[in-house]
Amino acid sequence: MATNKRLVSSLSLLVASVVTLSACAAPPPAAPTPAPAEPKPAADLPANWKAGIPKNAPDRKGKKLVIRDVPKLIGIGYFAATTKGMEEAAKELGNIDFKTDAPTEAKIEKQIEFLDNFITQGVDVLLFAANDPVAIAPVLKKALDQGILVVGYDADAQEDARQFFVNQATFEAIGQALIEDMVSQVGPEADVAIVTSSLTAPNQNRWIEEMKKYSAAKYPKLNFVTTLPSEEDQQLAFKATQDIMKTYPNVKGVFGLSSVAFPGAADAVKQAGKCGEIAVVGLSTPNQMRPFVKEGCVKSVVLWNPVDLGYAAVYAARALADGELKPGSTELKAGRLGTLKINGSEILLGPPFIYTKENIDNFDF
Amino acid sequence: MTNTKVVRKAYRLNLNALRSQEGVLFGLLILIVFVLSLLSERFLTVNNLLNQTRLFTETALLALPMTLIIISGGIDLSVGSMLAWSAVMLGFSWQLVGLPLPLAVLVCLLTGLIGGLINGALIAYVRVPALIATLATLAIYRGLSFGISQARSVRGFPEEFAFWGQGQIGPFPTQFLILMALVIIVHILLSRTGFGRWVYAIGNNEVSARFSGIPVERVKLALYSFSGLMAGLAAFIFTSRVTTTRADAATGLELDVIAAVVLGGASIFGGSGSIVGTILGLLIITLLRNGLLLAGVKGDATFMTIGLVLILAVLVNNALRKK
Repeated sequence: MATNKRLVSSLSLLVASVVTLSACAAPPPAAPTPAPAEPKPAADLPANWKAGIPKNAPDRKGKKLVIRDVPKLIGIGYFAATTKGMEEAAKELGNIDFKTDAPTEAKIEKQIEFLDNFITQGVDVLLFAANDPVAIAPVLKKALDQGILVVGYDADAQEDARQFFVNQATFEAIGQALIEDMVSQVGPEADVAIVTSSLTAPNQNRWIEEMKKYSAAKYPKLNFVTTLPSEEDQQLAFKATQDIMKTYPNVKGVFGLSSVAFPGAADAVKQAGKCGEIAVVGLSTPNQMRPFVKEGCVKSVVLWNPVDLGYAAVYAARALADGELKPGSTELKAGRLGTLKINGSEILLGPPFIYTKENIDNFDF
Repeated sequence: MTNTKVVRKAYRLNLNALRSQEGVLFGLLILIVFVLSLLSERFLTVNNLLNQTRLFTETALLALPMTLIIISGGIDLSVGSMLAWSAVMLGFSWQLVGLPLPLAVLVCLLTGLIGGLINGALIAYVRVPALIATLATLAIYRGLSFGISQARSVRGFPEEFAFWGQGQIGPFPTQFLILMALVIIVHILLSRTGFGRWVYAIGNNEVSARFSGIPVERVKLALYSFSGLMAGLAAFIFTSRVTTTRADAATGLELDVIAAVVLGGASIFGGSGSIVGTILGLLIITLLRNGLLLAGVKGDATFMTIGLVLILAVLVNNALRKK
C-alpha cells in the first residue's frame, strides 16, 4: 500500500516535471506575435534613424498632456530633484497633468509594472530613467506601439525603445569642465595627477581621454604625471593620493574621478595639511562632498544638475507632442535653459553644473 | 474604517452560502474587483486582466510549491535567489559557454532543481530548520548569481525567445497557459492523491506522520526540489519577458510569494491551505495593486493597502476558524 502511494506521488511529481520540461523544450512556433510592421519611413526621416517611433500617435499639438514619470526609484534625493524640475516645467508650460510614480527600490521588475499600468491607463507621454536598458525595452516598445510618446533621461534604454533621451552630460563636456575647473585653481602650467576608479572602467577612461585631448589643445603645459586606480575603495583612493604627494612633490592638483575617489583624495590632502596648496577637483555628488566643500578643502564639485535634467525632459515631451521636436531636429527650446543641442536622438543638457560652497546646500542627493 | 465594515458585511453575507475560507476569499475578490472597476474604467477589461497574468506568472509559479511547503510546516525563503541563479545560468551557458538556447533553458531548469535539492537535503537529512536553511541558501544562491555573472547582464536573445514571456497563444499570454496547466496538476496532486494527504499529515504532526509510515524525508526532499524546479521555470519565463538576465532579478520576491500563500489561507504553522486559496490570494494582491495604480493611487499607498488587506484577511480567517 505504502509503496503504491509512494509510486503515485513520485509519478505525479514526475508528470509535473515532464510537463514543465516539455513545455520549455518544444520549439516555439514561428513568429509568435505578428512581426512588427516596419514603421512607415516618413519622408522627412533622417537616414539611419534608429530611435523608436510611436505608431499612429494622435495629434497632440497644443492639447492637454498626461505625462507620467517613472524613474529608477522614488524616495531618494536625486530623483526627488528630477521630479522637482519636471513639476517646474509642467507648471510653466501649463496644460500638463504630471505625476511621478515608481517603485521605492531600484528594481527593474517593479519599474516595468509601473510602466505597464501607465500604458493601460492611456497616458500621453512616459518619461523614464531605466534600471536596465534592455529589460525595460519590451514595455517601452509596447508604449510606442500604442501611440504613447516615450522620452528617457538620466539612464537610457535601447535606442529603438524610446524616441529621445535627455543626456545629462557627454564625456566631452565633463572632461572639459574638469580641466577648466582645475586650471581656474592651479593655472595653466602645473603638474596634475588622476585618481580614477579602476584602470579598465569605461566611463572613467572616456573622461580621461577627453580631459587629455582638451588640455593638450588648450593648456599644453598642464602636465599629467600619473593615473592611479582606487577600485571603488575610498581607502585605496586615500592611499593613492598620499603616494602621489610623496612621489611627485610638485603636484599642484589631483582629479578624483568617481564618487569614491574624489572624497578619498580630498581626505588625503586634508590630512596632509595641504588644503589650498593642492587643488582637488572631481566628479561626485553634493552630499558626498559637502563636508570638504564647506571647510574649503574642495572648491567645487563637477556634476550635472538633476533639477535641470527633469526640467528639460518635460520640455522635450511637450515639444515632441507639438511636433516641434522630431527626428532630425537639431535644437530644443527648453525654457530657462535656453536652446539645447540635439545629437541624433540625444538631447544634450549642456555643460555640467558646478557645485560650490554657495549653492551646494540647495541640493540633497 | 468603512473598509472594515464593508468587508464584515461581505463576510456575513457569504457565511451561509460559502462557509469555507476560499468562499470568504472569493467574496473579497469579487468585492475588490467591483470597487476597483468603479474607480477606473480601464481596470475591468479583458486586455488589462490578461496583461496582468504576464506580470504575476512568475510569482504564481513559485506560490504553487510554496503552498505545499507551508502546508507541510516548512518555508522556502530562497525562491527569489534560486530564480536569479537559474536566470544567470541561462544567460551564462548560452552566451559565454555557447550552448544552444534550448539546452541553456535546460541548464536553467536544472540549476533550479539542484538548488531545490540542496535545500531539501539540508532540511530533510541534515535537519536544519527550513527557515534557517533557506535563509542561508537565499544568501548563497544570490552570491553565486553575482559571482557567476560578474554582476554583468546577458542580453541579445533572439526574437523567437520572447515567445515564452511576451508572446501569446490565441488571446492568452503563453506563460498564462503554462501556469494554468501547472495549477491544475498541483491542485490535483494536493487534493486528490495520497501524496497530498502526506503533505497535510506532515504539517499537522510530523512525529505521528512518521509513525504512520509516511516517508517524511523523501516527501520533504520532493517538495523543496519541486520548488527549485519551479524557480527554474519562472527564471526562464522571466528572462524571456525582460530579455535579459540580471543577478539582482527577483530580489525580495519570496515575500510576495509567501504573502499570497498566507493570504490564501494556508497556516504558517502547517497543516492547512489549498491551491485554490493561494490563487485567490494572488489574484487579490495583483488586482488590488493593478487597480489602485490604474485609479491613480500612488505606489506607496497601494502597498500599504495591500498590507492592510493581508492583516484583515488573517483576522477574518481566525474568526472563521473559531466557529
